Amino acid sequence: MVHLSSLLLKNYHGGYVVIRFALAGHKQANRPFYRIVAAYNKRARDGKYLEQLGTYDPLPNIYNEKLVSFNFDRIKYWIGCGAHPTKPVAKLLGLAGFFPLHPMTITEAERQRAQTELMATEDVLEEQKEAEV
Amino acid sequence: MFQVIGGRSVQVSRLLAPRGAVLVEAVRGRKSRTDPVAKSKEGRIKVPPPVDPREMVVLKERYSEYQLITRALRLEFKEEVLRKKYEEETGSLAEERARQEAEEHHALMAINNQENLRMLQVRTLRVRQEKEDAERKQVEASLQREQQQQEFLKEKEKDILQLQEDVKNFITLENLDRRIEDALDNPKNYNFAVDKEGRVVKQTMLQ
Repeated sequence: MVHLSSLLLKNYHGGYVVIRFALAGHKQANRPFYRIVAAYNKRARDGKYLEQLGTYDPLPNIYNEKLVSFNFDRIKYWIGCGAHPTKPVAKLLGLAGFFPLHPMTITEAERQRAQTELMATEDVLEEQKEAEV
Repeated sequence: MFQVIGGRSVQVSRLLAPRGAVLVEAVRGRKSRTDPVAKSKEGRIKVPPPVDPREMVVLKERYSEYQLITRALRLEFKEEVLRKKYEEETGSLAEERARQEAEEHHALMAINNQENLRMLQVRTLRVRQEKEDAERKQVEASLQREQQQQEFLKEKEKDILQLQEDVKNFITLENLDRRIEDALDNPKNYNFAVDKEGRVVKQTMLQ
């Protein structure tokens, strides 16, 4: 028997594999759920993928946790075969500890901290003004 | 900027629409290339978000470090994948497995050959037996046929002898007159009467 899967796999000229989010269960409105997936670059976001490598639930659950799962063995395999992770996937992997922390995570956190300090100092100044008045 | 929609849900609402009108709805990314700029956005110049140079320096440093580490990781993973493939194909375990498979194959082939020999012997015996049976049957059949022929001949001979004996009682041209006279002189009476209980009475009225 001829192996039909190799005949059905589309050959992409100059295509490469990416590890990215694909929206699962897209018939439900206002309830997103992502699959972390190894797929060809040219494929549709929710289209046929090569392998599923994990999940990501962006809405926090009753214990205020956002659940993520990874299949590290297969992720290692795909990166070894030359797959590129996208920015959000890289950020998640950095937070998980598999990759180093993404620079933008750190800069976002610093910006957030600067913003909260600014707001805190503004509130303190306002309180002082009200006290004087 | 307007997208045509059609479908089963649309057919009902089209009952109120004027005949020949196409149902359109607004879709995101509305403006096409030929649409003019909106009045509220006439003098707008799009400006990218402002960049803090100190933050940019720090960021560049962080990025270079990050890319270094990720490149190293990628090469390590690649090496691991290649090593696994190598182990799979030409590792010690692979040799063991190949050897065991070859042994199994030899053993199975030996069993198969033994079976073949055994079946060959059984088969030759059977064939010989069948040949003997067939020969015997043929011999018996031929004997039977000969016997039947002999019996047939005997029957026919008996018939001929009977006929030869009957010839003496035949009526020929010479006996004709005498036999006629004899027959006329001795009238035979074939009449007889039978009872319901089966008693035969041959004595009847002579005529």
